[in-house]
Amino acid sequence: MRRRILDFVVLLLFVWACMLAGLWVIATIIVPLELPEIVNNSLTSIIQVVSSASLVLIWLQIWRWLARSIFWRAINASTNTLKTYENDRGKRKA
Amino acid sequence: MENLHTLEALIIFATGFIVSFVCLPVIMRRMREWGIVGHDAHKKDRPLVPEMGGIAILIGLSASLLAGLVLIPTKSDLLISFWGTVVIAGIIGAIDDLKPLNAKVKPFLTLFACVPILLMRTYTPNIVFPIIGGTRLTMVYPLLIPIVMAVTSNAVNMMDPFNGVMVGSCSIVTLTLLVSALLLGGGDAIFLCTSLLGVLLAFYYYNRYPSRVFSGDVGSLSVGAALGAIAILGRLEVVAVVAFMPQIMNAFYGLSTIGRLYERREVARPTKLLEDGRMMARPDPKAPLTLARFILARGPLYEREAVTIFMILSIISGALALVTAYLIGVTP
Repeated sequence: MRRRILDFVVLLLFVWACMLAGLWVIATIIVPLELPEIVNNSLTSIIQVVSSASLVLIWLQIWRWLARSIFWRAINASTNTLKTYENDRGKRKA
Repeated sequence: MENLHTLEALIIFATGFIVSFVCLPVIMRRMREWGIVGHDAHKKDRPLVPEMGGIAILIGLSASLLAGLVLIPTKSDLLISFWGTVVIAGIIGAIDDLKPLNAKVKPFLTLFACVPILLMRTYTPNIVFPIIGGTRLTMVYPLLIPIVMAVTSNAVNMMDPFNGVMVGSCSIVTLTLLVSALLLGGGDAIFLCTSLLGVLLAFYYYNRYPSRVFSGDVGSLSVGAALGAIAILGRLEVVAVVAFMPQIMNAFYGLSTIGRLYERREVARPTKLLEDGRMMARPDPKAPLTLARFILARGPLYEREAVTIFMILSIISGALALVTAYLIGVTP
């Protein structure tokens, strides 16, 4: 039971820490971003939105990858148990 | 919270609890008579259980909010907009229970659950983030409200895999929001949380393992909308996101595996019932990666054990949400 809960806690802490860190980066670095005067305001806004969105997408991709890798590693580890169960059931039916 | 408000909150809680508790057996009997029943798929004998018990959630919530209107008439706008949101989501759920809606139509319709909040302008377009502080989102905030409502109601609807999990985990989320509201100095969220908590605890008595009633979409969509409305009206948006993490994870993993909105009946089942009554995660790559499948990945479990794990995960998320509330409180 502990391993199952730990899998979730790892993901939860990752998501939570990234959310706070991401918000901090957006609020303190991206939003106050000021480009040289030759670059107009609209372009600055576009750069701010694109960089914030990219950050969120990277976060979601890492989250998805982490969840899938934890899940498939756990499934592979329990496959042997399942095979044993199926074999036993086959023998009982036979 | 002042003493007077404590008493009001307790009366609101008790009204919701008693009304739901009393009317639920009547609803269960009626649903059986009308043939609105469903198989409990995770039991070996697949017993028939009355569906649409969520109607009791709507009735209990309406009664407790009516008590709130009588006790605190100054909060009438807040209580009416909250009630309206929950009822709209409940009606959508009831339609889906009686005549299943398309996987895209249902989330689309839930976008409109927030109409009372938008019309009565009971929201504050100001989100307080931990560490960063307050941000004013006058233009963007009203646009986010329908999305929040669709996300919360459908996320709760998607995480109803085992007996009592939806109601149990949502009770923990509600309790977390209540404690967070108290930590952050009270506010309107207290009345909304107590009304929902009373109703959920009464429902949990009948819905816990082994379930004697299922909530149906009428229950899950209205509870999800209620939690979304509490987050918005109580200004607990960030805390709610963290407390809601099991539901968010469940929805995110499912959607990212399938790649589109889906209905349970359209895709491969994520879990399988073994002969000995235990459940296991299907190793089928096409099945959605739900939180239930994630929990069962390390080997088969009995339903009761899986339910316990779900509750522990909700408590852990709730604890982290309280840490978030504390961080918000200490942010200058």
